[in-house]
Formats: sequence, C-alpha cells, structure tokens
Amino acid sequence: MPVEIPVEQWPGRVIEETIGANPAEGGTRSRVVKVGGENTLPFLFTDGEMPNLPRIAIEIADRRPTEWSPLLLEAWGDVVDDPAKWAKAAEEAGADLVLLQLSLTRDGGNPTTAADAKALTRAVLQATGLPILVFGPGQVDADNELLVAVAEEAAGERIVLGICEEKNYRTIVAAAMANGHLVNGRTAMDVNLAKQLNILIADMGLPLDRIIMDPTTASLGYGIEYGYSVMERLRLAALQGDKMTQFPMLVTPGFEAWRQKEAKVGEGVPASWGDWRQRAVLWEALTASDLILAGADIVVLRHPETVKRVRTFIERLMAK
Amino acid sequence: MSRYIATRAIRGANAIVAEAEALLQKALAEKGPDTPVAFTNTAYYLPVIYAMLSHPVSKIGDMVPVLEYAKSLLHPPPDEKWWVPYLGETLDCGMATLLAEEIIEGIRFVYGEQPERYPGFRMTGSASFTSPEFETGEEGGGYLNGPIDDIQLRSWGIQLVDGRMPAFAAIVGAARTNRAAVAIVRELQRRNILVFLCGNVNGRSIIDQLHEEGVEMGYDTYIVPFGRDTIAAIYPLGFATRSALTFGGLKPGQWREILLYNKYRVFAFVLALGEVDDLKYATAAGAISYGFPVIADTVIPQILPTGITRYEHVISMPWEEIEAETDEEKAARLVQKCIEVRGVKVKITEVPIPVPYGSAFEGEVVRKADMRVEFGGRASRAFEYLRMVPMDQVEDGKIEVIGPGFEDVPVGGAMDLGILVEVAGRKMQEDFEPVLERQIHYFINGASGVQHIGQRDIAWIRISKTAAEKGFNLRHFGDILYTRFHADFGAIVDKVQVKIITDPALHAEWLQKAREAYEYRNRRLADLVDEAVDTFYSCVLCQSFAPTHCCVISPQRLGLCGAYNWLDCKASYEINPTGPNQPIQKGQCLDPEKGYFTGVNEYVRVASQGKVESVAVYSIMENPMTACGCFECIVMVIPEANGVMVVSREDPSMTPAGMTFSTLAGMAGGGLQTPGVMGVGKYYLTSPKFISADGGFKRVVWMSSFLKQTMAEELKKVCEREGDPDLLDKIADETICTDVEGLLAFLEEKGHPALSMPPLF
Amino acid sequence: MALTGLQIYKLLPQTNCKECGFPTCLAFAMKLAAKQAELSACPYVSEEAKAQLDAAAAPPIRLVSVAGPGHRVEVGNETVIFRHEKTFYHPPGLFLRVKDSWPLEQVKGAAKEAMDYTVIYVGMNLHLDGVAVEAASGDPETFAAAVKAVQEVTDRPLILMASDPAALKAGLTAADGTRPLLYAATAENWQAVAEIAKSANVPVAVRADSLDDLADLTEKVKGAGIQDIVLDPGVRDPAGTLVTLTQLRRLALKKNFRPLGFPIITFPGEGASDVIEEAQLAAEHIAKYAGFIVLDRFAPEMAYALLAWRVNIYTNPQEPIKVQPGIYEINSPTADAPVMITTNFSITYFSVANEVDGSGLPGWLLVADAEGMSVLTAWAAGKFDAEKIAKTVKTTGIEEKITHRKLIIPGAVAVLMGEVEEELPGWQILVGPREAVDLPGYLKLWKSF
Repeated sequence: MPVEIPVEQWPGRVIEETIGANPAEGGTRSRVVKVGGENTLPFLFTDGEMPNLPRIAIEIADRRPTEWSPLLLEAWGDVVDDPAKWAKAAEEAGADLVLLQLSLTRDGGNPTTAADAKALTRAVLQATGLPILVFGPGQVDADNELLVAVAEEAAGERIVLGICEEKNYRTIVAAAMANGHLVNGRTAMDVNLAKQLNILIADMGLPLDRIIMDPTTASLGYGIEYGYSVMERLRLAALQGDKMTQFPMLVTPGFEAWRQKEAKVGEGVPASWGDWRQRAVLWEALTASDLILAGADIVVLRHPETVKRVRTFIERLMAK
Repeated sequence: MSRYIATRAIRGANAIVAEAEALLQKALAEKGPDTPVAFTNTAYYLPVIYAMLSHPVSKIGDMVPVLEYAKSLLHPPPDEKWWVPYLGETLDCGMATLLAEEIIEGIRFVYGEQPERYPGFRMTGSASFTSPEFETGEEGGGYLNGPIDDIQLRSWGIQLVDGRMPAFAAIVGAARTNRAAVAIVRELQRRNILVFLCGNVNGRSIIDQLHEEGVEMGYDTYIVPFGRDTIAAIYPLGFATRSALTFGGLKPGQWREILLYNKYRVFAFVLALGEVDDLKYATAAGAISYGFPVIADTVIPQILPTGITRYEHVISMPWEEIEAETDEEKAARLVQKCIEVRGVKVKITEVPIPVPYGSAFEGEVVRKADMRVEFGGRASRAFEYLRMVPMDQVEDGKIEVIGPGFEDVPVGGAMDLGILVEVAGRKMQEDFEPVLERQIHYFINGASGVQHIGQRDIAWIRISKTAAEKGFNLRHFGDILYTRFHADFGAIVDKVQVKIITDPALHAEWLQKAREAYEYRNRRLADLVDEAVDTFYSCVLCQSFAPTHCCVISPQRLGLCGAYNWLDCKASYEINPTGPNQPIQKGQCLDPEKGYFTGVNEYVRVASQGKVESVAVYSIMENPMTACGCFECIVMVIPEANGVMVVSREDPSMTPAGMTFSTLAGMAGGGLQTPGVMGVGKYYLTSPKFISADGGFKRVVWMSSFLKQTMAEELKKVCEREGDPDLLDKIADETICTDVEGLLAFLEEKGHPALSMPPLF
Repeated sequence: MALTGLQIYKLLPQTNCKECGFPTCLAFAMKLAAKQAELSACPYVSEEAKAQLDAAAAPPIRLVSVAGPGHRVEVGNETVIFRHEKTFYHPPGLFLRVKDSWPLEQVKGAAKEAMDYTVIYVGMNLHLDGVAVEAASGDPETFAAAVKAVQEVTDRPLILMASDPAALKAGLTAADGTRPLLYAATAENWQAVAEIAKSANVPVAVRADSLDDLADLTEKVKGAGIQDIVLDPGVRDPAGTLVTLTQLRRLALKKNFRPLGFPIITFPGEGASDVIEEAQLAAEHIAKYAGFIVLDRFAPEMAYALLAWRVNIYTNPQEPIKVQPGIYEINSPTADAPVMITTNFSITYFSVANEVDGSGLPGWLLVADAEGMSVLTAWAAGKFDAEKIAKTVKTTGIEEKITHRKLIIPGAVAVLMGEVEEELPGWQILVGPREAVDLPGYLKLWKSF
C-alpha cells in the first residue's frame, strides 16, 4: 500500500548567522562558524533543509572555577588556571566555539576591571582561532562596563556578547553595534518574553543577523520540559513566519546540568543514581541532546567527554 | 516655514558657500590640489561630506566637486512680493551650508588653523588630541577641541544609544551673562546631556564665558568646546553623522537613511543663545534636516508645525520673558523646553523620600496604635484624582502642598486630603486617566510606613509614627508620584505636577471636580461600545502556560481574568508597544451578530500558532473564544434547560453539569476552542454583548450564589435592561439545585425565559 | 474535520444515564471530542449515530496494553504532535532485553537487576516496565525456559521476541495468564503469528522496512482479526527513527491514516555502542513518539536519567509537577537559620532550593501546598495567601525547629506582608527578593534584618 508521506513545508526560515571574522573580513579567526538557516524542525530532512549542524561551544572560566564540580576540574587539568591555555584545550577537545565566562571578581577578590576583561579577551583570541563568545558576570553595572571593553578589544572579530536581558540590553547592544559583534539575548522560558526582547534589540537597530536568542533552559530532571517546549514553540513560530522569532537559539545545558547534584557530586546521593562519572556525563549529554531535538542551534557544554558524545549524536542525526 | 527665516537662511547659505569657494581657490593656489586634508583620528574623512555624498575627501582637490555640488543646492532668497513654497529650498541651502562649512574647516586644518587656538585654555582630563603636533602648545593646551575622535565617538555613542546619556545639545552663541551661561550648562549636565559648544555673538562665545567662570571643559566633564565661530557647528553634526554610520550600520551615500536615523534615534537639539545671524539660520536649516530642532533664547519667528523634526522645528523662548526669579530657574525652564521639543525622555529612578521605598513595603499594614495620622477612612475624607492637562499648564516636577501639613493634627488623628496629579504628554490620552490614577495606590504603598487602601474618593492613607519621625510629610506623596509616573509611565507621560490639597475650601472644590470626573468616566465607559472603535486588543500574557490561547479584548468584553479591560490594554500598548497587549484591527465585520471580524480571525490564527481559525466574539455555541486557565467564571451550556450556567472560581460546589469548577476548568482551559464551554471575566456578564449571539443574559439559568451576591447591584441593572427585572430570582444557584432535574423543576416553577427561547441548537 | 462536543452531543441519547462514567451526556461528548474517551463506553448509542461518530471519535492512535501478573502498561492514544499543544498521555514502556541464548542465571540476573531497580524522583517511585525476552537460540523450549525464568524474578509485562511462530507459541504458553506483546509479525510469518495472537488475545508487533510494507502488513493482520497492533518500521539510527517516527505520528494525527494508527516499538540498543549512546537514542525515542522502548543495556545512572526524562516529557504542561509540601532543610540548617516560604510548583521550588543550596548558607525552606502553582499565579488564584502561609508555618512544625520567629516571604507577594503578620502573631515578616537568583545576596544580609 503506497503511503503518502506527509511533508510540512514552512513559509519561514531561521536567519543564518556568522560568528567570527577571518582576516579577509577584518578579524583574525582561522575558522568562522555559521549557525541557523534551517527551514524545518530539527533534522526532518524530508520537510526542508538544515544547512548548518547545531554547534558546540565549550565554556571556559576566566579563572579557576573553584565552584565547579571536581570532575570538570579533573577533566581539564591545569589549563583551568589559564584562560588562554584552556581556550586552546577547548579547541583541541572539539569545540566549534569558545565561550569565555567573565567573573565578577579576580583571584583575591578584587573586582574584574575593564582592563582585565580586555586582557582576558585578547588572550583567548590569541590562543584559539575559533570564534568566541564572551559573557559578562550577569550584574548590570559589571556587564555594561566589562562588555563594552570586551567589544572594543575584539572589534572586528564578530564575537557574541552576552547576556542581554530585558532589564539590561541597551548598552550591550550598543557595544555590539559599535564594534560589529553579535549579541545573545536571554529571557526566562517564555515565548512572548523572548519575542519581546528580540523586538527591543532589533528596535535599537542591530541587524537581525547579529541577534541570537537564549530562551533559557533547565537541566534534565529540573524543569527541562519547560525549556524544551518553549524552544519547540519558538521554532514553530519562526517556521510559521514570525520574523521576531527567527533567530538561532543558544542554550547552556553544561551550566544547567553541572549545577545539579546528579552531575556535580559523587557522595551523599542515593545509590540508585549509579556511577557518578558516567552519570555526570550522561546528565549533561542528555540535557544537550534533548535540547538539540527541540531546536537548539548552539549548545554550551563543559565536559570534554560530553562534547564528543553530543558531537557524535549530532553527526548521526545529520546523516540523511 | 517662516519666510523671514527662509530668507535669512538662504542668504546665509549663499554667503558661506561663496566664502568656502574663495578659501578653496586660495588653498588650491597656495597648497595645490594634492595636499592632504584630514580631520584627526577619524576613519570617516570629512564625515558629513563622506556620509551625504559617499565622497571621501583626502586632499584639497577632492573638495572641488563637493563645492560644485553645494553650489547646485543654492537657491535665491524668496521673492519679497510673491509667495512660493520655500521649505525645500531652505533645507537644500542648509545642506549646502554644512558642506561649505566642512570644506572650510578642512582647509583650516591644512593651514593649521584648526583646532582653534585659544591661548590659556586647557582641556580637562583626557584631551581629544592624541596627535603630537597639538600637544606642543602651552602646557599641552592652547587649543579648543575640533572634531571628536572615533574612539570617543564610540564611547559616547554607546551611552547615547543605550540611553544613559539622553541627548546632546549643540549650543551656538553666547548667553546673556556669564552666570546664565554657567546655569544653562549646569542644568544640561545635571540631566546627563552632552554639551557641545560653538559660535559667538559679536565676537563673544559661550566658551569664553565658561572659561572665565572656571568651568572645566573636556571629554571628562561632557562639555566639549569646538570653536568660537558658527562654522564649528559642523563638528557636532559630523558627530551625529558618524553615529548613524557606526551605530545605524548605514553606508556612505545613504543620506536619506542617515538623516532619518538622526531624526528617530539621535536626540540632539540646537540651543541658539543670543542674536541669530544669517549664518546661524543657514546652519540651523542644516540641523533641521537631521531632525534637530532649534530653540532660541531670543525673539525669532517660530516654526511650530512638525514634519522634518519630530515636533516643533523652531522655538523662541526669549530669556527675558522666562518667568523665573533666578538665572538658574530660567535655565531649568529653557532646558526643560528643549527636552520637550526634542522628545527626550529623562530617566529618574530614585524616589527622594526619607523612608525606604520599594515593592517590599507594598503589603505593610499601619495599625491604629502605630499610626501618626490618617487621611480618609471614617474620620476624614481623602480623594485622589489624576487628570490630563495641556503641556503648557504643567510644570514638570512641581509639587505643591496647598493648606496645612499634619504637624498640628494630634497623634493618631485624621485630616482631609486631596491628591491631584496633573500630567501632560504628547502620547497621553484622556482614556488613560483612570488607568494611571489606579497606580497611585501601588506607588504610595511602596513607601515604608505608609499604607494605602482604596481609590478615587474612598482612598484611605495612613502614615506610621516611624515614618513621620523620619521626616515623611505630605510633600513626599508628590515626590513619590512624580518619580514613579516618570519611571513607569514615561512612554505616555512627559510632565507631571502634583498638588496635595488640605486647604478646606480648595479640598471641597476639588473633591467636587473629582467626583464629576469619576462620573464622566463611568458614563464614558458605558458609552464605549464595540461598534464605536475600530481596534480591539489582544492579550497573550498567559501563553506561557496556554500557548495557543489569545484573549480578544473589546470595549464590551474584558479579559477573562477580569484584570484587563479595553482601556487597560490600550494604555498598556502605549506604555509597552512590544508587550503582551497588541492592537487588533477589527477589519471587515463578517457577522455583526456573532461577532466575526476579518482582523480578529487573522490575528488569532497567528497568535494561536494556527490552532484557532476563527473566533465569534459574541457566541458560546460557535467558535467561542479560547481560555487560558485564569478565567473568573466558566459559562457552560445546559442543553436540557436550553440555557447556560455560570460557575464562579469561588464556588466549590457541584453544578447541574455534573462537574465542579475545577473539572470544568480542564475542559474550558488550555487554549482549545470548545463550543459550549467558555471561560470569562465576571463583568462580562453585565455586558450587553454577553453571548448576545445566543440570546444574551436571559440564557443564564444557573449561577453560583457568590456571583449573585457580590454583583447584586450590577446584575439587577442587567435584568432591568433585559426587560425582566425579576430575572435574577428565576436563576438557580447551588443552594437551590446541583443537578439537571432539580434545575428544570426550578425553572418551570419560576417561568424562566430560557425555556421558551428558540432552541440553543 | 473533527466533530465538536456539541455536535457529538446531538448524536448521543441525551439521557444523562451516567453509565459511561461521565455525569452528563454533554460531558461525555466533550471528552469524546477531545479524543479522551471511547464511544463504546456508551451502551445506548444508536447504530446510526455510532456509524457517524466512529470515524471522528476513535482515537487516531490505538491504545494498546500489555500486562504481567502485577503490572500493566498502556501506550498509544496520543492526540498531539507537540506536548505543548495539550499533553502526551501514555509514557512509553521501557523494557530490558534478555536473550534465551544466555545461561539462565544470567537471564534471571539481568532481568532481576533491572526490574528491582527503583529510584525516587520528585516524590515518585520510578522503575522500568518490563522485560523483552528474545528467542536467540532458535529453540522453542529454550525460549520457554527463559520466559519462565524471567517470570520468576518479575511480575511485570513481557515482550516475547521471536521470528519463529513455534517459539512465540512456546513463549506464550510459558507466559500463560499474562498479556505479553508478541514480536514480530513480518511479511513472511504474519498469518501464523496473527493466529497465535488472536487465539491468545494478545497484542502483536508488526515489522517491515518501509511504511508502504508496514501499512500492508497491518491491514493483513487486522484482517486476521487483530486490533491491538504495535509498529516496528525497522529503523535503528537516530536520524532514521526521528524522521520515521515523526512521519508515523503525523500520518495518524493529521491524516487519520488508520493502517498506521498504532504505537511504535524501538530498539535504541541496536543503534548504539555503549550506555551513553544508547541513552541518547532512547531519550530521542521518549520525546519523539515511541510506545515501547527495548533497551539492551542496563545501568542505574542510565535508568535514572531516562526515567526522569520520561516524567519530564510526559508531564502535562498545563498541570505542572508539584513537590511535596513541607519543610526542606538546605545545607544542614540550625535553629538560628533563616526560614523562607515558597510554593510547591516544582520549578519554583527548584529555583529557590538551588539558589539557597548554591549559596552555601543554611536555610529552612517551607513549601506551601499551592496546588502546584508558581508564587504569583498561586497568589492571584488565592492559593498562596496569608492564611495558607500561616497554615504552612503552623502545621509543618517549623516553630519547634527554630529559636527565632522571622519568616521570609517571596518579594512577589510583598503585599501579603501585613496580612501574614496578622495571621502569625509573634512573627516578624520579612520580604525577600522577587527573584530566586537574588536570594544568596539577601541571605548574606539576613542576620542584619
């Protein structure tokens, strides 16, 4: 019996965006990364195309992240003391992108200054040829001060500045506009909030192909279903033609998974949770894989083993 | 446009272009066409020329076609006798002036005459000029600024774009006195407005005035002295032009887009101090092309209609006529006017009162024992009234306490109080008055030690002893309201003044006026019918948990949660144009009875992500509106009774449908269209449009007693309107029956009209 | 076009006899319209109406159940493609495969370990659903022995896997008295397998390598009198399962294509080389449309992750997960540690608990029963008011655990402060931050309040 396969062709398409600039484009990156551009739900190649596979960013901290799980510190070894070396190690671990997360303070408790942020950005740019993302500490004043400096230092490199939130996006967007960068806009797991922030950012005049949206997610077992459904809805809206949702989506499963006990700690947890090492990687890998199925275009990860796992999964999904 | 201004501007343009031509000829002859020309530290060549004409000038010879182009823009002055349109001519001449001025400054750079020498002057902090030749002057100074370099452009540009710096002011000329000059500049600084200085009046410049008064000028103080002639005004315009290229992502040659970018995004204005000569008029015409209005402190003809600029083009506010005692007050008025004319929004966040302020204190209760004084309640009368008045009748930030304070009221006592808030705004509408007025409750409650209950003329406010001891007094109500209305409603409110009225005679007078206003608003609300408007509003606030639900809110059908009526949505949209309440153009009415509109259908289809194809706004039987889960009541068809029941959220009992509210909620909610079931706001029951397609309120055969009791007054009126004053008694409730059999018996006994109405389906 | 509840109501007897289990005919009609009820529940519906309603009222994906002596698993009867559209109703059964070619002790050991496994997640006791026994030996008696061995260690449902009808029959006999799923009818053996299934009245899986062939086969099996069918479209890799299972779901829901309107069985282990890879694939199948998932590997951490994911995906988006109301101790609080209160909406609870936990500061977190709503929603709905807060404080016994009397309420309900003070005499009510993320900073200052 011939079965008529239902095909869904959508009027909308996610904007294809380029992160990083090579010397010809005014930067120094040896690789540039394209994200987005799909006109189908993830990996449904009978419906449409997905010109760029979901990308993996590895998150590195600007100083030894003592609050991170010992498993992560062990996996990376000494490079966690030196963002430049860490960036290089991340590249070797198979990252497409390197995300530098700035802290509020330096070792010893002094506040991170604009000069520190510049130096860190410069060091990471020199250490890796990959495009980078730089996220501020998440406090309005600090973000505005540090990210403006970062934007200047990386002028021409087409980096991603984050995180824009509704309460604080204007300065970051302005800094991106002035120096040719992209921004990552984060909202709290809500389709309309995401859309609203996108509109606000676009209203400032930043070209649409320089906006990435981060609808926020949660870890497996800790509310991931909200993020998952919001991402599915945003992607459906984009495909249906809603311009202000047609941005690539970035999510941070590494951060989310590793702050949960399942990944973070090996003691004082139920025996039924099983082997810590495998569970930790599994927790991060499943969180990331599931969000990729919901439409993530960039996943930010932490553990090198997870990177391999997620990379293989993506490649297998891309096999047409 | 004023012919006087046109004449002067066109004359000025002709003169400056001639001057530029002479200077260019001289430079070509003396220096030769290949001599390099450049402003310092910019990648944008001569920026106005580069941006407008996409023509990079890097040597003297490159200026020749620019000058020719400027000449082609010139027009003769308007004829004395015959009226012809001259707006276009004047703007052309303005642009020619800017091109000529930039040519002149470029050549002056070649001759080392720019930046302007100014012996004895030294810029504060980091100077603009990193080029060594300018550092060799006396003690590293001796020069004014000249053009702003690209690094500073980006730094200030970010602040202008993100709103930390609300605007920049280009001041041209000289103030009446040194003191006035300082007052004006300080007033601008106080508001974080970047100050650019240039020009002179009879050889005396505001730069001289500030210098004499010891005012620090430089990048660090946000006061930039460009040059002591009018031509230096090209630098601020070059700054604005480069902003459009840097931040607007625009390319040289996109002159129209660049000018529009400035009109909509660069909040700049020209403040002309002192006599305005031809060249100043000509330069001003150039500035107007950018959308920058001109405010003069002398008597000049005004150009009030809007168009090229957002609001008025040219405003005259003669210094001598400003009603104020001191120069400082005059400066404040003048700057306030500039801000209004350019549409600059100034952000204020701190509430200046002696007690802590924040939402954390909203729920505080001030008990009788802790109370210093109360207004309203049993022992006194308090009212609050917010009204919209014309712009010129509001002095922004003015707070008056009219009558005695509460110092003489015994501890624990009461006094009469009236709070009159007068607001003005270009986007303010009379319909927003009640929406804003309701905010007074929340705003005042935010003060620690102050409790606010009620609204309108049943307001009741208490101030605690602690708050009073800390110095909280009546004036602070004004401070709170002024700050919060600006902070939260800045999108629609430009100016706010507050009168706190305790004077008995005035209190009585204003209470009367307020009551008239309340009554007027009530009538206005009653008159507001769906047919009278062409726009409904959406509410998608609940899509976070009901992703396909979209409320359609019309004047006669409020949101199902009861929290948003049409006016609220309208105001919410003005305040937050990207927010959850968006206008829905009704479009063509396909069926007035059932309430089908093309615009509503289209909107809902998109907002529901294709789940809902069409909505009958007035029917429960056919394509009813969807619901999230926040509804105050559920209406459900009782087929056996040929009517509907209304169950309120507060009612936990069984209903004739065999289900309780919570079971029904699962059916009504979730953003699915379920004919026969609908979630509504309880005041929709009183609307003439309540399921009007299906027979209206007469269909109600059963209703939770909670509704009958709490809405007795309103429902009684509805019954009268429906021509059946006893209808409410014919409607059953949970105390009468909770099953269909009982219901039918009751309806038969009472002769409920639904039984004899046409079959529901 | 689907019928609305009102349209269906017109076709029902309108007697409100309640025998269908619903209070009124209209309520039943509404449920039918939502495809959450079967018309067969109405004993009095006329044949004419039945004919009219049948097409519209039957669930587009058939509900199929399997059962062991102690457990039952129902899958199918899904109504949406995306969970946000309504909800996913029947979580896929997670089975572990054992083979009869293994030593019996190994078969028993593997089955027992997996079936005994249990983990507590948000107050729920989660476990796997059953065992798939594969006739790898090719010998019906060996197979029957393996089936018996598995039944000794579990009372959960079985999937009997064999291509040889004789083996299936032997396995079925060994599993007598239960309702296993037979796997699988193929183009080669379908008559025999269908006959066995029909006589035992058990569901049967059909396998074909294309949807065309699969549809042919289901029609044949249906023709042989089998209603309860499960589909194996033969794909095993992540891309193939995602695309094919999506197409099957769309065919059933959007085209109402009856030949393929059945639950689907998948085998993630066949497309994976280790535990993590198998888990990734199984997770895809949980999210994207599997009805039965047969695992080849078992590890506690894998089971925990998949079970949690299954709960997450099958949570009704309109009825969020709740946590147990009560006292939660964070970072071993002492009698002078701060006391906070929030609602029992899981996300709210997790946000607050995570922030306090991450701050390293000790605290007592009171969770009020707010019917699973977030703070603001619960407040608006009257489920988190002063009375509820006071009741939570009084009934949890927190007063015995602490020496102070200070309660931090969420900043979003600052308006409740005065009322809570009224309700809780002797307590000082502090208004905390609006957002959980600001709690660590707030708690650092707590001593000064």
